[in-house]
Amino acid sequence: MKKYLIRRLLQLIPVLFIITFVVFVLVYLAGDPVSLMLPEDASEEDREALREALGLNEPFLYQYFHFLGDLISGDFGTSFRYSQEALPLVLERLPATFELAAASMLVAIVLAIPLGIFSARKRNSFVDLFITGGSVLGKAMPNFWLGIMLILMLAVNYQIFPVSGRGTFVHLVLPAITLGTGVAAEMTRLIRSSMLEILHQDYIRTAKSKGVSDTLVIFKHAFRNSLIPVVTITSLQISHLVSGALITETVFSWPGLGQLLVQAVNGRDMAVVQAAVFVIAILVIVINLITDLVYRLLDPRINYS
Amino acid sequence: MSEAETPLLEVRNLQTHFFTELGVVPSVNGVSFSVKKGETIGIVGESGCGKSVTSLSLLQLISDPGKIVGGEILFNGEDLTRLSNKQMRKIRGNKISMIFQEPLTSLNPVFTIGSQISEAIRLHQNVNKEEAKEKAIVMLKKVGIPRAEKHYYSFPHLLSGGMRQRVMIAIALSCNPQLLIADEPTTALDVTIQAQILLLMKQLSTEYQTSIIIITHDLGLVAEMADRVVVMYAGQIVEQNNVYELFKNPKHPYTKGLLNSIPKIHQLKDQLESIEGNVPIPSQLPAGCKFHPRCAAALEKCRFQDPPLFQAKQGAEVRCWLHQEEVIGV
Ligand SMILES: Nc1ncnc2c1ncn2[C@@H]1O[C@H](COP(=O)(O)OP(=O)(O)OP(=O)(O)O)[C@@H](O)[C@H]1O
Ligand SMILES: [Mg+2]
Repeated sequence: MKKYLIRRLLQLIPVLFIITFVVFVLVYLAGDPVSLMLPEDASEEDREALREALGLNEPFLYQYFHFLGDLISGDFGTSFRYSQEALPLVLERLPATFELAAASMLVAIVLAIPLGIFSARKRNSFVDLFITGGSVLGKAMPNFWLGIMLILMLAVNYQIFPVSGRGTFVHLVLPAITLGTGVAAEMTRLIRSSMLEILHQDYIRTAKSKGVSDTLVIFKHAFRNSLIPVVTITSLQISHLVSGALITETVFSWPGLGQLLVQAVNGRDMAVVQAAVFVIAILVIVINLITDLVYRLLDPRINYS
Repeated sequence: MSEAETPLLEVRNLQTHFFTELGVVPSVNGVSFSVKKGETIGIVGESGCGKSVTSLSLLQLISDPGKIVGGEILFNGEDLTRLSNKQMRKIRGNKISMIFQEPLTSLNPVFTIGSQISEAIRLHQNVNKEEAKEKAIVMLKKVGIPRAEKHYYSFPHLLSGGMRQRVMIAIALSCNPQLLIADEPTTALDVTIQAQILLLMKQLSTEYQTSIIIITHDLGLVAEMADRVVVMYAGQIVEQNNVYELFKNPKHPYTKGLLNSIPKIHQLKDQLESIEGNVPIPSQLPAGCKFHPRCAAALEKCRFQDPPLFQAKQGAEVRCWLHQEEVIGV
């Protein structure tokens, strides 16, 4: 187990290199920042002087290694929009994003587990059809549309929840539902199908033949097994969660990482874009590592070599 | 059967049908037999004749779209088909337990074997966790698992097929059941392991006075283990008798065919016979005797009239017009 962890962490080193490279190339290709930084009527000499000062005239690889050197000391450059260092700017948005992500995962889990199990048990019944149909719909609904609809209905028409912002629990409800619905829909579908498969396994018949009650057969013997594929596939869904967060945070003016990133991209605030993409990439890697470990805890058949 | 002794299990005219989209499949269609205390009976027949469905019906473990549509299953005089689910759970694993054909997949992969044995013990006996664990370790030792204390914490995938079947036996016998149903318990195992497992079942059942229903298509195994033999064909019993008479004086042409298909020492390989044709699909059974299309001795009558069960010589019960001595059932 320990060895496995160490090996996984060592594997991260090349991955990190690739990420820094991609982040750098993205910005390199995004074009000349100088035109954005200087007033429109700046002279060509001024532009050239600034390029020289920023090191933009150096060769590509030189610029990359320079960028890497800065990264190692935690320096992503300065946001010209906020006139602050980029990395702290990004990091201070993390709690808000974590809050939203945790709340929407909670929404997803609370919805998906009972619905998935229920619809597997009542397979092909009206309820199952309803749940399955609902999950297709839930998956198909774009985040921005669902977010706007929720705002229109529950914040504008009925004013139960605030339109946007972060602060109290009620602020969290609509964004969490918006982001959680898609995940819940996918999870419901997965839990249903893996439950269906597992309920036909021989070991379920064994459990029944021992006199285990139906409830325990489902929640102890079947559910634990059905989580194995669910966790695997959920980890593949993390990228959806990230892109969903970008949109949801923007729709609800949720002051998280996603909102910051979208604003930075729109304002060509490249230092912030780099820092945010880098932090998001690391988060995705960490989450993947965690789900991988959970998966291994759930399935004793996997060994660590 | 002596008149005084009521059998442990008496199955009367059991009918289990599957209601599929393509129509009703009468997998078990009027099966009657009984098991006395301490007795071992063997149920034999070709694949698909309804042996597993019969045994799962006894425990009320037939799942959708199957349903027991008729008959009685009297266990200690109580009709299991009338019990509630909750009452039935007190019998499963406790009074009647079952071992399945597939040792590799019959244990839950995410729980230790010890916890799977303890679970059965705690369900039916009033013991705490520690006591259940001790009992489980005793069972593991009984079924011959080496280093039982250590293997208590092993997950199933670490054990071989034979070892897993031993664990299944430990689970099945952990509550000292009155009846053990073993559905092809050794089919998936190596020949040497087969013999060990059978010996183990036999020893333990003698020790605990457990009755056994052993289901198989291996007649050699039946000859060795069973006191009585039930031969099934297409969801019905075609012959039953004690093991000695059945092997010495088989009556039904199907039974004769089955016996001729076992190799004997003094026979050459190319003299081995097999029964022509295939088992009919339960949803497309022929009219008359279910076996007549494959029967060399079929009469005109066999094509139109389904024979009832006849009481024949040497104590045999036979479903065949050739042995029409005395009608004893339908
Ligand atoms: N879930 C089901 N749906 C429809 N038909 C079924 C179902 N389960 C069993 N049957 C039918 O019941 C018949 C008897 O099956 P069963 O499993 O009892 O055979 P078996 O005698 O145990 O055969 P084997 O030796 O291969 O184990 C089969 O023909 C099968 O088609
Ligand atoms: Mg079978």
